[in-house]
Amino acid sequence: MAQTPSADVDRSRTQVAPSEQYNYDIVKKFAIMSIVWGVLGMGVGVWIASQLAFPFLNFDIPQITFGRFRPVHTTLVIFGFGGNALFATSYYIVQRTCQARLYGPKLAEFTFWGWNLAVALGVITYMLGYTQGREYAEFTWQIDLLITVVWVAYFLVYLMTLLRRSQPHIYVANWFFMAFILATAILHIFNNLAIPVSLFSLESYSLFSGVQDAMTQWWYGHNAVGFFLTAAFLGMMYYFVPKQAGRPIYSYRLSIVHFWALVFLYMWVGAHHLHWTALPDWVSTLAATFSILLLLPSWGGMINGIMTLSGAWHKLRTDPIMLFLITSLSFYGMATFEGPMMSLKSVNALSHYTDWTVGHVHSGALGWVAMITFGSMYHLIPRLWDTQLYSIRLVYVHFFLATIGIVLYITAMWVAGIGQGLMLRAFDEYGNLSYTFIETVVFLHQPYVVRALGGGLFLAGMLLMAYNIYKTIEPVRREAARQVASGRTETTASASRA
Amino acid sequence: MKHETIETNAGLLIALTLVVISIGGLVEIVPLFYIDDTVEEVEGVRPYTPLELRGRDLYVREGCYTCHSQMIRPFRDEMLRYGHYSLAAESMYDHPFQWGSKRTGPDLARVGGKYSNDWHVRHLIDPRAVVPESIMPGYPWLARRDLRYDDIERRMRALRIAGVPYSLTEEEFAANVERFGEETARQLDITRARENLEAQARRGNYDGDPSRITEMDAMVAYLQMLGTLVDFTRYDEGYFVEFR
Amino acid sequence: MDLWYWITDLNNSKMVALLLFFSTFVGILIYLFSSRKRSERLESYRFIPFDDDEPDQKRQDGKHS
Repeated sequence: MAQTPSADVDRSRTQVAPSEQYNYDIVKKFAIMSIVWGVLGMGVGVWIASQLAFPFLNFDIPQITFGRFRPVHTTLVIFGFGGNALFATSYYIVQRTCQARLYGPKLAEFTFWGWNLAVALGVITYMLGYTQGREYAEFTWQIDLLITVVWVAYFLVYLMTLLRRSQPHIYVANWFFMAFILATAILHIFNNLAIPVSLFSLESYSLFSGVQDAMTQWWYGHNAVGFFLTAAFLGMMYYFVPKQAGRPIYSYRLSIVHFWALVFLYMWVGAHHLHWTALPDWVSTLAATFSILLLLPSWGGMINGIMTLSGAWHKLRTDPIMLFLITSLSFYGMATFEGPMMSLKSVNALSHYTDWTVGHVHSGALGWVAMITFGSMYHLIPRLWDTQLYSIRLVYVHFFLATIGIVLYITAMWVAGIGQGLMLRAFDEYGNLSYTFIETVVFLHQPYVVRALGGGLFLAGMLLMAYNIYKTIEPVRREAARQVASGRTETTASASRA
Repeated sequence: MKHETIETNAGLLIALTLVVISIGGLVEIVPLFYIDDTVEEVEGVRPYTPLELRGRDLYVREGCYTCHSQMIRPFRDEMLRYGHYSLAAESMYDHPFQWGSKRTGPDLARVGGKYSNDWHVRHLIDPRAVVPESIMPGYPWLARRDLRYDDIERRMRALRIAGVPYSLTEEEFAANVERFGEETARQLDITRARENLEAQARRGNYDGDPSRITEMDAMVAYLQMLGTLVDFTRYDEGYFVEFR
Repeated sequence: MDLWYWITDLNNSKMVALLLFFSTFVGILIYLFSSRKRSERLESYRFIPFDDDEPDQKRQDGKHS
């Protein structure tokens, strides 16, 4: 149970407690918002998945039709859930591995409010019909500017904290976070170049058109996956897997190769989203080649993470948090195998434009990104509030709900995608097309129902996590409030402030 | 040099990372803006008329690209189902591009002229009234709402900055006459945008209600011109292959 | 001299780039894995995340509740 207040006072006399040495306040805020957006974003995801199975759920209400609601889902889960989790963990890791307090508390505070304002405004504007019409970059130009400012602040906070370090070395997790910050800045700025209709209009037209616009967009789009959803989460992996296992990372030399190869190769592969389109062939061939090469560093990283547990596999039997982390790495390995395969032009001819792509994205997003986040949060949150998790049993339940949900989701999407792809290219004995498009839509109904179900299970797990975290934090907050009310000394209150 | 030098020096780490991440993007994107082979020279491709442009804005607003592609690939089944594969030139005035990434519904790159205006109106209001198995949402508000076009000149000016040849001056107009012919050039004249938009809506009567200009007018006008600009009977197949 | 002409010929840029990238990669591998002493030194940095372990060390055992 939580330590008694007097013990805290004692410790702070002899040695500074982590909660005082480091800025935990900002990490706590980001961690909470990550869970809030996660619940909302996954909720919207289940909703739009159901709309595809049962179209009446659009209700002829403009704000919630699939076309406007889908960017709401992607923005909430990528930038809301994922983004806040990255801010939280990166601010935590950079402090812990540099043994330095976070630079610029006000600036860090600004990144919190700015970022979450951007996510909230994004969601509202999409529902009102304001969008730039480019996937994962739908934010209107004003929000893009806000994000740019926030990102510069983030970079400053991160860099200045690194420079304050009392360690000579910058630990590998921080390289990944730094690469993520730099790459995201470049991608965000170049991809969102646009001419506003007027100074007071929310609408704008992309500076580029046609082929060039498509190429820039997917250079951005795939590297949003590569840097936002992979490199940064690898930063998480390089810290939380060793910490939770209580063992150092498997190989530091492997992590050096992993880092440089990954950041170099990812930037080349975006054009595999444009196979067989009007994009010149040499670009998509180059992208396909580099996509295959990318398998190597991806699996290097996966092996590095999983082998950290080598010799201590029994931990998987007793520790559900470890289970989350290792399963996420397995899904990472699976998704990074499937990805290069789908970037082969012959496979892509079948898979592109179908639900196979959607399934692939979700085995990465649910299996890798969300699961490593869950594991990291379960590790992080008790430490932030200096307490213990409310229930380990609920973590187990969460793990199984999430895993079963993902498996249902991706198998449904394999059936849907490969099935539809084959139907669309089928010819009858006279050389005519065997199926009309709408016949393939009818075929998709059942997989779509199963997918919605899988997503529902995943959401249920997320809700359990929110409940578990709430019950973990609530007693600490109540205790803190009680202490403040009863007028204890200033030191005690700040030591355990929630 | 030791790797420790990088690990212990934040500035060096940042500089090296920047170099390493820049290479891929530079090699793949920059040439697309210079190489002449990227976009074909084809006759017929022109910027959108004011009404079509507003229709396209609505297409973007409603997120149609989340379910419909506008990019036909060079496969036999797609040729039979949708028509000739898409050319780069056909989206050269698309800011932003709407190639899409998912076909929950069919490709729309050449949907223009395939169905009647009346079909489109009924289908957009209630898709399942025309295609019972459809899973597309209904868009009844398009028929109810008046089209806003008081800022049409501003929109065309913004696109002009981005490189679309909408004309503001006499010289630009003359250049457009030279390039697209008199009739099209007049449609691209920003100073005549409003009267052009109203005239096309009246003439086309896309939503079947001549008394007012609704969002439906613009949307259907846009859908009906998609993929109709290039006359493929005039070109030898071998010509397009050079650009692939 | 011929070699220099071959390298500077833009038509060979793909091959040049490939050789350049690949030799850099191999170079990094050799640097990392060739010397035992260097390996030991590099691997010692694995323990950085544990440098700040103090009172909450006992939590590492996976005993959470």
